[in-house]
Amino acid sequence: MVAGGLVLTLRGQVDGTQLQILQAVGLPAVDEGVLQDESHSPSSNEARQRTALRQTLLADRVSATGTHYRPGRVIVRFRDEAAMADRRAAVRAASGTGEISVRPSYADFDIVRIDPSEDAEEAASVLRRRPEVQFAQVAHRVHALMVPNDPLYQSMQWNLPLINMEKAWDIQPQAGSAITVAVIDSGMAYQNAVITATLPAFKDEFGRQYPALGRVTIPYSAAPQLVAPGASSRIVAPHDFVNETSTPFDYEGHGTHVSGTIGQLTNDGIGTAGVAFNVKLMPVKVLASAWDLLFAGFTNISNVGGSDDDVARGIRYAADNGAKILNMSLGSSGPPDCATKPNQADCSPVIEAAMRYAVSKGCFITVAGGNEFEDTVPPFGTNPTSIVAEIASRIPGAVSVAAVDRSKAHAYYSSTGSYIELSAPGGSERGFGSNGFVRQQTFDFNFTDTFLLPPSQFVAPRFDVFGYIGYIGTSMAAPHVAGVAAMLMQQGVTDPAAIEELLEKTAVDLGNPGRDDTFGFGLVDARAALRGLGLAK
Amino acid sequence: MKGLGFAVGLSLMVAASASAQDTPGLSIRPLVMATEQSFAAVDSFNAVFGKTYFPFFGGGAQIVIHDRFFAEVTASRFRQTGERAFLSNGKPFPLGIPLTATITPLEVTGGYRFRIKSLPRVRPYAAGGFGSYAYQETSSFADAGEDIDTRHFGYVVNGGAEFRLHRWVGLAVDLQYSHVPGILGNGGVSQQAGESNLGGVAARFKLVVGR
Repeated sequence: MVAGGLVLTLRGQVDGTQLQILQAVGLPAVDEGVLQDESHSPSSNEARQRTALRQTLLADRVSATGTHYRPGRVIVRFRDEAAMADRRAAVRAASGTGEISVRPSYADFDIVRIDPSEDAEEAASVLRRRPEVQFAQVAHRVHALMVPNDPLYQSMQWNLPLINMEKAWDIQPQAGSAITVAVIDSGMAYQNAVITATLPAFKDEFGRQYPALGRVTIPYSAAPQLVAPGASSRIVAPHDFVNETSTPFDYEGHGTHVSGTIGQLTNDGIGTAGVAFNVKLMPVKVLASAWDLLFAGFTNISNVGGSDDDVARGIRYAADNGAKILNMSLGSSGPPDCATKPNQADCSPVIEAAMRYAVSKGCFITVAGGNEFEDTVPPFGTNPTSIVAEIASRIPGAVSVAAVDRSKAHAYYSSTGSYIELSAPGGSERGFGSNGFVRQQTFDFNFTDTFLLPPSQFVAPRFDVFGYIGYIGTSMAAPHVAGVAAMLMQQGVTDPAAIEELLEKTAVDLGNPGRDDTFGFGLVDARAALRGLGLAK
Repeated sequence: MKGLGFAVGLSLMVAASASAQDTPGLSIRPLVMATEQSFAAVDSFNAVFGKTYFPFFGGGAQIVIHDRFFAEVTASRFRQTGERAFLSNGKPFPLGIPLTATITPLEVTGGYRFRIKSLPRVRPYAAGGFGSYAYQETSSFADAGEDIDTRHFGYVVNGGAEFRLHRWVGLAVDLQYSHVPGILGNGGVSQQAGESNLGGVAARFKLVVGR
């Protein structure tokens, strides 16, 4: 029952000797093994029975204003000077069956019991008009309004209330627990390790020459708010398509931040919250960072990022290994007419084929809409089409996500076009400063991006220092939608096209009425999507 | 329903062998009623409740003039709990959030009773009229104003036969079509399904007391 221990894995990056990763270093965790009971998932028969029974037992009434209240009782505070006989007379005037109950503990009021078939609102109204009564009211139903106790949630995470997450968590407190979300990105800080690498001399994009550091030992840690100690089972089938390994370590911080928005540990009194904080996470690395290149012995780090083949393979891998939601906070610019001419240069038919494959396997895909609204990208001009997002817009079951700032306005960088389908918080510093960032736990880049220092100060990085770092971008917007989609799938909407349709139908319309090129169908509303539709409303 | 079917069969046999009854010029006859309605909003009811036919229970009264003309007032009630849902390409996705719908029709009809010489205890009839339909819809996790409590008018036509079981007791069986616009089709899965009629076709069984 105890798992863990030391696993020594040699991970050759190019020549087989460059990089060593000593995985899972640390004390072993206590592992209770697999618990098979899934009766608390909302789509299980048991859960539905519980809900139906609870509803039956509660048998709420609905007031004239639409609020729910408990039948059979009125809450009354009698005036102190009112004699018991007068109190009883007041109750008799309000209800033929009313009786004053024994006062409950911790109450400075009385409960008047009436027949459940009687109109408690009317009884309360009559009582309010009596001189013996200070106040009288029906017993309104209240329910948990989950506000995470993570300290930074209240102070910094404007983004989650913006998409109505608190009421969504009320509907689904387990927040996507049976769903695996693949984060197709720069990797993820999901495991403790010790990395040994040989760092060569290199030039940066400005031509500055950095010295070789030789053989260095680099500490690496799981982000503590992504993977709790002993909870490594949260991580499913990790894979690195950049280095062709099964250790997709994030050396950049982007994938870890994106993962935090999807599933940061929540309500644990620490740090920030995530949208679907109980999902399983599948790190799929397709974006290379500067350190990936240096660890692999490259001597020029100006060409970081990913490529279509890695991305396409990552999508197919995720679909074949149990992921149900794929988040792709990545993209590239290209021509606007890939839909009609997919084989022209700068289109990505290989990614389109992979995305269609994943959706056909039941995966829902979120794609960042692009950050080039103000940018000019030759030869495509200003605000070029974001190719992967454009592909998503043509696939029912994949969505492209634009970014809004904390005032629900268009984020200045968020690309616009006919391919934009939904909006979510991406943040903006304009007008808000650092209060406009989307914050999640990821590496403190002062310790990771040492190649940004002057060559004379260059040192080996360390990947075990974390902070709650503010990012902005449609990369941050897309994982909000991925998290909500995971909760929808947990709730029973298992068809990717249906998830897209539901998200779009329940989005809060922004900008011009109806779908527009800036916000798509509008700002995703987690509560409205999870609640679905009634018969007539 | 089987019991009602048996009663209908029995009443036919009794009716066929019985002689005609004296009938007053004006009679007021209370009734109790059980109805099995197949809702016209098939996709909407399937999505939320998993089926499309449900019972109503109620009662009312008839005024019969010279055993030919009659007016009838009935009130009945349907109450069912299902789940909030979403329709996509016609496929329902229930979301596990309880939804309770209550329909309370108040219907007023007028019609004509026919006589068949060879079946003196049988009175075929046809009627038409209108109804006022109260509709309430409540769901878990509703904010103020999100539940529905409304009332709309609709119309009904029906036809069937009454079988005299006893001098003072009759059993009426008919089919009724109701059309109730204005409640469905403005939102929810009914809007998705493009269905706007809360009515449908109902088999009604009425136990009538009086001559």
